[in-house]
Amino acid sequence: MNPLLIYLLLLKATMTSFAGMGSLPQIRQDFVETHEAISDEQLSQAVLVGRATIGPMGAYVVAVGYFAGGWQGAIAGWLAMITPALVAIPILTLIQRWLHLRRIRAAVDGVIIASAVLLVGSGAALAVDAVQQLLRLKS
Amino acid sequence: MTQSAPSLRELLRAIAYEANRTVGGGLVSIELLRRRFTASGWLDAASHGVFIAVSRFTPGTVVLAYVVMLGWRFHRWRGALPALAAASVPASLIVLALAATLAQIDRYAAVRALLAVGILVAGVLVLGSAWHLIRPYLANTEGPPKGGHYVNSRVRVLVVGAIAVALVLLGATPVRVLLVAAVVSMALPPPDSNHGTPEGVPYERQ
Repeated sequence: MNPLLIYLLLLKATMTSFAGMGSLPQIRQDFVETHEAISDEQLSQAVLVGRATIGPMGAYVVAVGYFAGGWQGAIAGWLAMITPALVAIPILTLIQRWLHLRRIRAAVDGVIIASAVLLVGSGAALAVDAVQQLLRLKS
Repeated sequence: MTQSAPSLRELLRAIAYEANRTVGGGLVSIELLRRRFTASGWLDAASHGVFIAVSRFTPGTVVLAYVVMLGWRFHRWRGALPALAAASVPASLIVLALAATLAQIDRYAAVRALLAVGILVAGVLVLGSAWHLIRPYLANTEGPPKGGHYVNSRVRVLVVGAIAVALVLLGATPVRVLLVAAVVSMALPPPDSNHGTPEGVPYERQ
């Protein structure tokens, strides 16, 4: 598969997701179903590798790129993973410019509070998953 | 506010180490980065809160958006791009190596047990991160000045937090939860100055 196409397809998935594994449905649609570049088993292996590795879970797109296009595909996957992060700079610049406005800082407060709620959900899910894995190992 | 700034070398070393030393995903890495940067006096709780808010609204991997902002804050583009590489290259190389060798890493019970313990620790760290975000709002008990009216930060946490929990339980996506929280918080009467807001929040124009 063409590395440029791999990059564009993975970029579409990463730019439209807001969490490490959030891009998975789009990637499955494009790589497994539409282009048949990788199999479901390879996608599962990519997810497993991404989850078991240190660092961001979103790094699994590197494995997807590798399965679809070898070393060049892996580089395309890495680029697709890091590109959306650059969007943070204009957003941060705008927020800092408007942060002296009362309503804007109230909105930022709201996002921070909601982020804490979402973090509680993520942390609890991780802990429950880990306990379940340990119980399965014990039995 | 931030008391000092790291050199580019210190920044990259800290990001490369903290963003690539645990399983469990980027949220854990963010908590480790927060601890490292606040302990070094490079970042305060308020700026961390703003970075979290922005990274949640940035598409893609949350921790990568967070490190880009760290790099940008201290060294602009000269810091942002290397920070992005420092946070993503080591993990990507390991993913690549595992994918290339097709290692069946979960074949052995000992490996699975180690991973489970790692994920459990990661879960606890993420819960700690949530507490650090919310704590400044809960610590502030100041009410409106005489004649003024606004919602103090504890009430804001209660109202926005309850709505966020309800939306999560209803299955709303994280982005929708954040958008609704922003709108609801905007609608609650905000203070005129820093009254009733968490100490140290960078509300002056930057």
